[in-house]
Amino acid sequence: MKALRDAALLTRKDLLSLRRAPLVVILLALYPLLIAGLVGTVAGYANSRPRIAVVDLDHIPAETTVAGHTYHIKNLIDEVAKNVHISWMNKAQAAQALRTGEVVGVITIPRGFVADLKSITINPQVEFETSQGGISSRVTQQMQALIYNLNRKLQDAYLKDAIGYISIIRNGGTADFLGSNYKVLGIKEARSLLASEKNNPKAAEVVRFLDTAEGALRASEVSAHAVAQPIRLATATRSGRGWLLSAQMQAYALALTVSILALALGAAVTASERDENVACLLGRGLVSRFSLLAAKIALATIISIAVGGVILLAFGMIVEIGGISGGQPWQRIPLVLGGVTLFGAALGAIGTLIGALAREGRSATLGALLVALPIVLLGLIPREIAPPAGLISDIFPFSHGERFFSSALYDLHPWATVGPEALWLLGLLVAWGAVARLVQPRLTES
Amino acid sequence: MAETLLAARLVSRRFGRVIALEPIDLELHSGEAVALVGPNGAGKSTLISILAGALKASQGRIAVTGSAKVGWLPQRPAHYGRLTAQENLVLFARLEQMAEPRQAAARMLERFSLPSDRLSAYLSIGNRQRLSLAIALLGDPNVLLLDEPTASLDPKQRALLWREAERHVAGGGAVLFSSQNPEEVERHATRVVALDSGRLVFGGSPEQYAVWEREP
Repeated sequence: MKALRDAALLTRKDLLSLRRAPLVVILLALYPLLIAGLVGTVAGYANSRPRIAVVDLDHIPAETTVAGHTYHIKNLIDEVAKNVHISWMNKAQAAQALRTGEVVGVITIPRGFVADLKSITINPQVEFETSQGGISSRVTQQMQALIYNLNRKLQDAYLKDAIGYISIIRNGGTADFLGSNYKVLGIKEARSLLASEKNNPKAAEVVRFLDTAEGALRASEVSAHAVAQPIRLATATRSGRGWLLSAQMQAYALALTVSILALALGAAVTASERDENVACLLGRGLVSRFSLLAAKIALATIISIAVGGVILLAFGMIVEIGGISGGQPWQRIPLVLGGVTLFGAALGAIGTLIGALAREGRSATLGALLVALPIVLLGLIPREIAPPAGLISDIFPFSHGERFFSSALYDLHPWATVGPEALWLLGLLVAWGAVARLVQPRLTES
Repeated sequence: MAETLLAARLVSRRFGRVIALEPIDLELHSGEAVALVGPNGAGKSTLISILAGALKASQGRIAVTGSAKVGWLPQRPAHYGRLTAQENLVLFARLEQMAEPRQAAARMLERFSLPSDRLSAYLSIGNRQRLSLAIALLGDPNVLLLDEPTASLDPKQRALLWREAERHVAGGGAVLFSSQNPEEVERHATRVVALDSGRLVFGGSPEQYAVWEREP
């Protein structure tokens, strides 16, 4: 009972001290928010448009006519490459860019590409090289999508041509094929020519064949239309959360801000006990080590809840004022703040550990920032890309907190994620708290 | 015979490979003021910190008699800079589990003529030292440990501090103070203990110490 009372007294003292240094709290809250914005922007950019080099060995002309249709191949590539950033380069530049990581893949258009394309009878080929690394599979998928889109554009034209040929065979007319011009009689005209030969059994047989052929060609025309797009994808853009207000961004902003804040605060207020020469007074039996530790963790938690609440409120207000569909899930805020409590406490325990290890307050704050950034960046690396990073990240609270917040805010059934992550955070709080408790004599016996 | 309030038995302290204090026996009795003297690095602060319970002895043990309490004034002022003197005193009184912390704080403010409404960080060095002494005396200790208490005080504040120390001794308490000032030792100590390089090299009256010190 005395231990808890002492912890409460020390927490109250720290809150009073912080109230007298509001600039520190504002900076501590704004700095991580700024970092969250920058990291989010970089992550968002990296996610959306990897850089790809295109090498044109065939010197594709501005206009290329294939099957009677004129294409601007380069424009077509730029147009369909919506998810990648295309840079046209020569072979040496592209090889260098791939080596240095300036681009993550190189598409090479080989010599003879346009000739193969025009021939219709040979399938032209482009070559794609990608670097080894975490995002190569994603880049390959985007390249497949790019080639798929190019094929679709050409396929549409080819099918239009094919349908045009069918129409000419049925109705007659003139047609260009492989560079030659033909005059075609057409089934209809042929049938009318044979109409005068009603009594000729051979002519009657030819008319029957023409009827069958016309039916077959009509069916071919219909199925050619269907083959062009067996499944159509209807894309519509609706008003909704942009990336900046997305669940992921909100969860990142919350997790990153609280991470830096709780770590720095836990470390700074712990080290300040030594700076003010009070730690040794407290450590001589006036308060227990548990009370001292609990007070610092409690302070980090309270400030985390306060700042986390402000962030959620700010996001919510922007969403509500902007009339963004979906709105802010206000009813989930208590659940999120529950997560912030565990998250802030676990980070506060690590901060207290840093504060006890550091020689004085400035080293403690610097140490906390140096520790916070790798913890956060490790948590941002997708687990499937670098499994070891995921394993290391597991022993720190960031990724658990981020998953907790994201799920608590927007999953239809959040408990499957929130429950295990809450247990992780609780476990990390106990584990890091125990380590911080072990090194506390360094603080009080100075 | 005066009551033994605090006894250190074969107390020593190492910091890694460095021996800061070799095994030492020391007793503090009711009604005595013991001066702890020696050059810089002799182990005075280490010994006082161990007696105060702020530093763990590597070996040996400290025995505090019955309900005796130990108050400690560290060499450097020890209080919270962002709290006022009053808030500091109330906080420490609460941590000491005093029945009426606000009244106890008010008494100390008056006794040490401390301003109640200024943040401690902005007090003069002398006032900060007095505030630390007030905090040390809050729990009404029997043994008062003062680590170079007058090092940064002006003559008036020194006089105030020694008046408090004498009042404490007169009330049946014991004072152990470290000092580099021979005049203070001669005037205020009833016994002198000298340390050198972590070893106890002298123990006796101030007069004996004066003779011992003059010896080559």
